[in-house]
Amino acid sequence: MTLATVTAVVAVALGGLIGPVILVTVAVLGPALAAGVAGSLIRTTLLLSLPIAISAVLVNLFFFPGGQTVLLQIGPITATAEGLGFALEILARILAISGAITLFYLTTRPGDLVVDLEHRGVSARVAFVANASVQTVPTMVERAGQITAAQRARGLDTEGSVWKRVKGLIPIVAPAVLGSIAEIEERTMALEARGFTRPGRRTLLWHPPDSGAQAIARWLLLAGGVAIVVARAAGWLPWLG
Amino acid sequence: MLALESVTYRYAGALRPSLREVSLTLSEGEVVGLAGPSESGKTTLCLVASGLAPRTVGGTLTGRLLLDGDDAAPLAIHQLAGRIGIAFANPATQLSGVADTVYEEIAFGPMNLGLPRDDVIRRTDDALATLRIEALASRHPARLSGGQQQLVAIAGLLALRPELLVLDEPTAQLDPAGSRMVADALARLADGGASILIAEQKTDLLAEICRRVVVLADGAVALEGPAAEVLADPRLEALRVAAPADVRLSRAADVARLPAAQRERLRGAVGS
Amino acid sequence: MLVRWIAALVTFAVVAAAGVAIAGGVPEAGQADPITFAFQQVANVLALILGIALLAAIAVYLLLERIQTGANASITTQFTTRTLILMPVAIALNIILGQTVAAALKIPIYLDSIGTILVGVLAGPIAGAATGFLANILWAYVIPPPFQYPPAAAFAIVAAVIGLMAGMAGGLGFLRPRLNRPVGQLVAGGVITAAVIGGLAYLAYLGYTAILGDTNLTPSSDNAIFVILGWVALGLVVATVVGLFALLIFRRDLTATYVVLTGMTTGIVAALISAPIAAGVFGGVTGAGTDFLVAAFRQGGADIEAATLGQGLISDPIDKITTFFVVYLIVSAMARRTVARFPQGEQLLPEGEEPAESGQLEGATA
Repeated sequence: MTLATVTAVVAVALGGLIGPVILVTVAVLGPALAAGVAGSLIRTTLLLSLPIAISAVLVNLFFFPGGQTVLLQIGPITATAEGLGFALEILARILAISGAITLFYLTTRPGDLVVDLEHRGVSARVAFVANASVQTVPTMVERAGQITAAQRARGLDTEGSVWKRVKGLIPIVAPAVLGSIAEIEERTMALEARGFTRPGRRTLLWHPPDSGAQAIARWLLLAGGVAIVVARAAGWLPWLG
Repeated sequence: MLALESVTYRYAGALRPSLREVSLTLSEGEVVGLAGPSESGKTTLCLVASGLAPRTVGGTLTGRLLLDGDDAAPLAIHQLAGRIGIAFANPATQLSGVADTVYEEIAFGPMNLGLPRDDVIRRTDDALATLRIEALASRHPARLSGGQQQLVAIAGLLALRPELLVLDEPTAQLDPAGSRMVADALARLADGGASILIAEQKTDLLAEICRRVVVLADGAVALEGPAAEVLADPRLEALRVAAPADVRLSRAADVARLPAAQRERLRGAVGS
Repeated sequence: MLVRWIAALVTFAVVAAAGVAIAGGVPEAGQADPITFAFQQVANVLALILGIALLAAIAVYLLLERIQTGANASITTQFTTRTLILMPVAIALNIILGQTVAAALKIPIYLDSIGTILVGVLAGPIAGAATGFLANILWAYVIPPPFQYPPAAAFAIVAAVIGLMAGMAGGLGFLRPRLNRPVGQLVAGGVITAAVIGGLAYLAYLGYTAILGDTNLTPSSDNAIFVILGWVALGLVVATVVGLFALLIFRRDLTATYVVLTGMTTGIVAALISAPIAAGVFGGVTGAGTDFLVAAFRQGGADIEAATLGQGLISDPIDKITTFFVVYLIVSAMARRTVARFPQGEQLLPEGEEPAESGQLEGATA
């Protein structure tokens, strides 16, 4: 249910565009408080948005073309009020999106999501790729860490100038990548020997519970999201813009 | 139950065949060992017996593979999956990569076969119990030791309730503790009447659990017979196969002309 | 069969037309308002619309095929078990490298499509497209921080098209090693390669001088970020260039030129499709190192669409040439047997190599 909620929220966030401040409060903080994850939510969202936010604010604050009302002047660069306004709008939008996604991440385990999708008819192969991808990222990072340690023991210099660091990446990245690829043959054999290629659906041990109320809520959210996007495109709700 | 009739197999793009006119029979409940130096065809034989060669790995097969008397050629690999289980030397690459717990990992095979949910659960529980790894059920497969992972892999095969287990050097990449764990588990399986074809360079394991041993050289059968006989055969060294430790010690004791009582003690100390 | 193709073509036309209508149809009072979905110039979004239309057409074709025949024979050959096992590795590669570059290195390239292009080249266009799309979706929604990167979802379409193009390039044999070619061909290839790289370098140089305001090519500025940025970017470009020419000269491998051309084409297409997305959804700023380039263009007076397009046309071709080169290296390093067993593997082996035999079971005769 959370999945559908969040997806819909994000869609609205993109479509609603300006005035997503309201959005953030209602659709993100509200459910977050209800689910008890508000603290982590705020922290994680801010962390996630920080790089984008800084870039966005700086770029738009200083480089907004056509800005008239000058706020600040640092040498050749001027900060304009229009730029500030635009920057804040972008910031709010970013917060809405990041917040929604973070809410999703905090309340849903990715494995559960994939199981749910498979339960509803997504092919077992897609589910496999999704699950395996999520597990492979930490595995590969760990492997890179092990290789780094091994290479350091052999005298690889990983500190120092940027150029040295870039050069030092290759003896780490290459074995990690090639090692993962070399395993593919063995893993293919193991999987096929366990019936992976059997056509048709496979048995699932469990699936996330659902209820009628949740299904209705999902449809409403979806409909609401679409409605808002259409309204915006048609120019019916200028006060939100 | 499983029979290879004059099987010659060549990998795709290879100049020479890896198996030459190999014939082999396995009866139900038999534990057969496969010995031989590297590149002698042990792995290839395992792949052919399980059907992976040529289905998954390509290549050309001449001769026949018979399963319960029927030619296995028209069967697809997923149909063979429920009848023959194969395990390899590297414990980590046999993990499905999609299971968060050992339980789900073992259930992976039955789930793929589309069996009813209760069946899947029962088979998984049975496999855990047979290998005595119930304690590992909720652990994450990637964080286990090599020996534990290998046991999970074998459990995953047992959950498929195969007629035959093919094991390609299962202890080759394990440390001594892991090897011991797996060896004990296999011994119990053998005692329980499982049909196993096990390839190993370490002939000690074969001496422990096999009733018959086949020695391969250069893709063809060089020796075949009851385990004790074959493993004590003096021609083993010429075939580049290391005899089991107790055989070697016996020979050394013979050469040193130790009295019988000391020889017995030596054998007892070695035959663990 | 015919029904499917017609339906796909119709879908393409309809979606494209609808896209153009939406883009050009919303009334604007003559001001560049980047905040709404309405773009002033249809041209900005044309590539994006065509990309969406293409994917929609493919989806319709596949859907009809499934309804008609109960399966998708046209693409299952691409999705063998081997492909399915390669995809998570490729997706992880995309995410790890892409996140490192976007969050930590702040250089004006992405390096987030190595996996996509690898799968496309080895397994086929649809597999590549699926990898790119799925990678971006997972990257944005499912992968936990610190690797999570929400903006990636918006560019899933771009990733899909990149995978599609890589698959076609691989299928046409563009990345097949062409060793020991006569000197004449190598010279011609070298000239083309030099021309392309030189052209791109010149454009980048123009871009950088616009930012830094001086004609010195070595990065030097009061702002340390630009210096590091410049050096690493230069380093990567130099490494790629050196590598490509090494291929040409030492291994007499003509494919280096193909790599450059394929990379450049893919890069340009990717830039065209992603520019409107970056402009419309994010105001041109995605938190990556490319933002500096966008800022520079904006300061020069360009509006958001032009700025993102300019940035894209500098960053994307360099990024894709580098990526294709890396993928070529990876495939060369893989065992021949392994490559051959992939759906498009035969188009990646040097000419004259014995192709892999399928799983043949023969009777009593050899």
